[in-house]
Amino acid sequence: MLWWKSLFRKRPLEAQLDSELRFHIEELTRANIEAGMTPEQARRQAILEFGGKEQIKEDLRDVHRVPFIETTLKNLKFALRFMRKSPAFSLTVVLTLALGIGANSAVFSALDAIVLRPLPFPHGDELMKLDQYDPKVPGNVGFSAPARLQDWNRMNSTFQVITGYYTQDVSETSGALPEKLTMAAVAPQFLQVWGVAPALGRDFNPEEERFGGPDAILVSDRFWRSRFGANPNAVGQKLHMSAYSYTIVGVMPASFLFPERDVDLWSPVPMNAPYAQSRESTWFITIGRLKPGVTATQARANLATVQAQLGKQYPKTDADLTVNVEPLKETVVGGVRGSIWILFGSVSLLLLIACTNIAALLLARASQRQHEIAIRFSLGASRGAVVTQLLTEAFVLALIGGVCGLAVAGGASKVFRTLAGNLPRIEEIGLDWRIVLYSMACAAGATLLCGLLPAIRATRPDLSVPLAQASRTQVSTRSRLQWLLVGVQVALAVSLLAGAGLLLRSFQELGRVSPGFDPSHVLALHISGGWGETADMKALTQRIDRTLETLRSVPGVEAAATAGSLPGVPAQYQTEVKLEEGGAQPDRKMMVESRFVSPEYFATMKVPLLEGELCRETPASSNPKAWWSSLNVMVNRSFANTYLPGATPMGYHLRLPGNSFLPPPGEIRGVVGDAREEGLNHEPVPTVYWCFSAPDPDPFYLIRTRSDPMAMAVTLRRKIHEIEPGRSVFDIMPLEEHLGEAFADTRMRTVLLALFAVTAISLASLGLYGTLSYFVTVRNREIGLRLALGAMPGQIVKQFLLQGLRVSFLGCIVGLGLAAAFARLLAGTLYGVSASDAETWSVVVLVVFAVATAASLLPAARAARVEPMQVLREE
Amino acid sequence: MEKSDLLQGTLDMLILKVVALGPIHGYGISLRIRQISKAVLQVQQGSLYPALHRLEKRGWLEAEWGQSENGREAKFYRLSSKGRKQLAAEESNWHRLSGAVTQILQTAE
Repeated sequence: MLWWKSLFRKRPLEAQLDSELRFHIEELTRANIEAGMTPEQARRQAILEFGGKEQIKEDLRDVHRVPFIETTLKNLKFALRFMRKSPAFSLTVVLTLALGIGANSAVFSALDAIVLRPLPFPHGDELMKLDQYDPKVPGNVGFSAPARLQDWNRMNSTFQVITGYYTQDVSETSGALPEKLTMAAVAPQFLQVWGVAPALGRDFNPEEERFGGPDAILVSDRFWRSRFGANPNAVGQKLHMSAYSYTIVGVMPASFLFPERDVDLWSPVPMNAPYAQSRESTWFITIGRLKPGVTATQARANLATVQAQLGKQYPKTDADLTVNVEPLKETVVGGVRGSIWILFGSVSLLLLIACTNIAALLLARASQRQHEIAIRFSLGASRGAVVTQLLTEAFVLALIGGVCGLAVAGGASKVFRTLAGNLPRIEEIGLDWRIVLYSMACAAGATLLCGLLPAIRATRPDLSVPLAQASRTQVSTRSRLQWLLVGVQVALAVSLLAGAGLLLRSFQELGRVSPGFDPSHVLALHISGGWGETADMKALTQRIDRTLETLRSVPGVEAAATAGSLPGVPAQYQTEVKLEEGGAQPDRKMMVESRFVSPEYFATMKVPLLEGELCRETPASSNPKAWWSSLNVMVNRSFANTYLPGATPMGYHLRLPGNSFLPPPGEIRGVVGDAREEGLNHEPVPTVYWCFSAPDPDPFYLIRTRSDPMAMAVTLRRKIHEIEPGRSVFDIMPLEEHLGEAFADTRMRTVLLALFAVTAISLASLGLYGTLSYFVTVRNREIGLRLALGAMPGQIVKQFLLQGLRVSFLGCIVGLGLAAAFARLLAGTLYGVSASDAETWSVVVLVVFAVATAASLLPAARAARVEPMQVLREE
Repeated sequence: MEKSDLLQGTLDMLILKVVALGPIHGYGISLRIRQISKAVLQVQQGSLYPALHRLEKRGWLEAEWGQSENGREAKFYRLSSKGRKQLAAEESNWHRLSGAVTQILQTAE
């Protein structure tokens, strides 16, 4: 009977035993009655004769008891004894596995938190991001008009609710100094869409969501703690921003980190406000919650129909628009998914190498234990029992490795977080039961991977027979298997090395590009401003110009400018422009990168003027219908070469077609050099600079300093406070740091993959070294004999060296095949280096051979030093 | 009448031999051993049943529930083909052993 059956058939077995024994007693009783006893006497006599029934039953149970737990305990004891007997070996295995499993679990925790899990909201998969966009203007995806949002909400049949938000920085002035806070202005039913309620207080009521209603505000948990010391009485207090005061109605839970991580305040936007009625204003990042069971495709089709109807109703503003519907999670994590999967793949390869390594070690070990195994067989152990025992040993090692691995993972997670601070959802990464479970699954998998093959090999019946010969180990066929394992390690290491090499080269290339501007000695900062200020562009422009003047007057400042976006930090603002004068190719669509900068931008960033003159800022009028009649623009060399070849660009007028309310037509005043505005990893594209210092109320201030820019921070801050006491200064950081941060994802990928690759090649060389050493030991006698018969030490060295190199060579070839596949995966993320970069590949091959030679040379040299006499004496 | 204890290890063989005659329950086995040995050998139930179950577990005996002669439910044991081989091996072993012992006893006289 199979043991699990006997575990589960407890009751029938009991009944059977009882019934069998009772039958015996009853038969005895019957015999006694036939012999002439009274029934009572007969029964007593029978019981007496039968003996202790319960004792017998207990004995029978013993016969049937499964020795499972006992065997396991015994195996565990064996395993621990085995570990004690070979501490160095055990430590190597445990450490290797701890690193392998730890690194793997750490990356898995990131994969799980960022990519696998739904967004941390109830039914997070129902959340969609909606964008209105004009297919004729690529790159112009984004914000939706409030009026249109309302229409969508009213007319669609696939969403429960659609809402929207935008964020802006505000200065809160109830404290001694103004404090910069980030406020999300939200459309009605914002919290219903997320499915989250305030942790304290209440949601906005309809009155507060109406124009002219009371100004209510929700605050973040972080702000509540820092400002109010987590005092529940904060609800009902007032905050002061610009001219308004807001009543706090609630505190959001700490876990509510959306829409954006650093939002402190949420405040409703009245949708019925007069200024919210334009169908051309684009405000909202739009989020909707699907009805249960509706798919994104259905929602897309539905919204397309809705928007087509709106197109008929408002042909002027809506006819060209379509709606993009994308799962919110996709928009949050889509950008890093590839990166994380690549890392997870790499770290899994690493674990595989570690397991292969250990398998080879165990294999070598098992052949040393052949004697012991043969004895166990001769004592009657079944093959299954011996395999189980060997697997238990591997499992104990793997389990210890797994537990240590969890500790490693905990540490690695922290490193990961510092290395990749700007990954989305990074705060959700943590060690929870899923990670523990995953690590344990890794340990179990590792047991099978490294333990099964050696265990099966070691217990092959033909190997267990020759007990007498067991001490005279012959190099058997298993050596092929061991070499195969070494080859696999080399192959996997080669593919990791190649991947890391390509990323390193790519990163190096990125550092080598000449961006066309000079990011050193430039400080970037923000000064708070509200979108309300755009109601008077004249005042806003004057305010920003005055600030710039003040900054320039500070000693140590060479130049100062404002810009709508940072140069070199990946971001695209592609728009279509038209030449008023027609131009050389009137039919050609002119796609340009469109940037808003103040005129001093070029001097500040050291972008050279090539032709014409520097633009000037045209003063704003006080007419709200048209703040400017014309602006100055600059174009870059690519623009001139691409769209106005052979012509003098100066004097042409550029216009943004479509419904944009800003800016007015711009006259080209000059041509500047090409700069990598869209990101250091993007070739310069035709670019138009609108010379205009107030593209928004809170532009980037770029300040070129003579010395270390951060050293100027305090001085500059104080100076700004003097002229703008009500505004806060924040995000003070050198431009170079912004650039570094923009590529943090790339850097993380590169650093981690390089780390994995180094570990991989170390493990592989350890495997090669270990295996070769083992064979040298095993063939000691043969080597001694050959040396005694006159073989030259050089021949011995050569033989073992070649053996090591041959395996490495084969591993290398297979590895290059693997690497080619891996490189194709990486190709999309590479910059300035092709996936089949010959230089990288040859370096990888060289490194592998250098390492393989070193790893083989040591045991080979040891082989040549074998003392023939000593070996022969031992015979 | 004098009764002898069973030699260690011979019980299994005796059981196999008795069961070889045809399906039989535990009570029947103990009766049969006593009868055939003319009451010289008496098997304790405390040894009989564990031995039966052990032999069943090793696959030498097969068990089945059936009706006894007087219509009661009883567990019947039958020899398996594996058990038949085992019995043959043990019998020849026994003959060799007892022959050798007899030889010694006679020679030493």
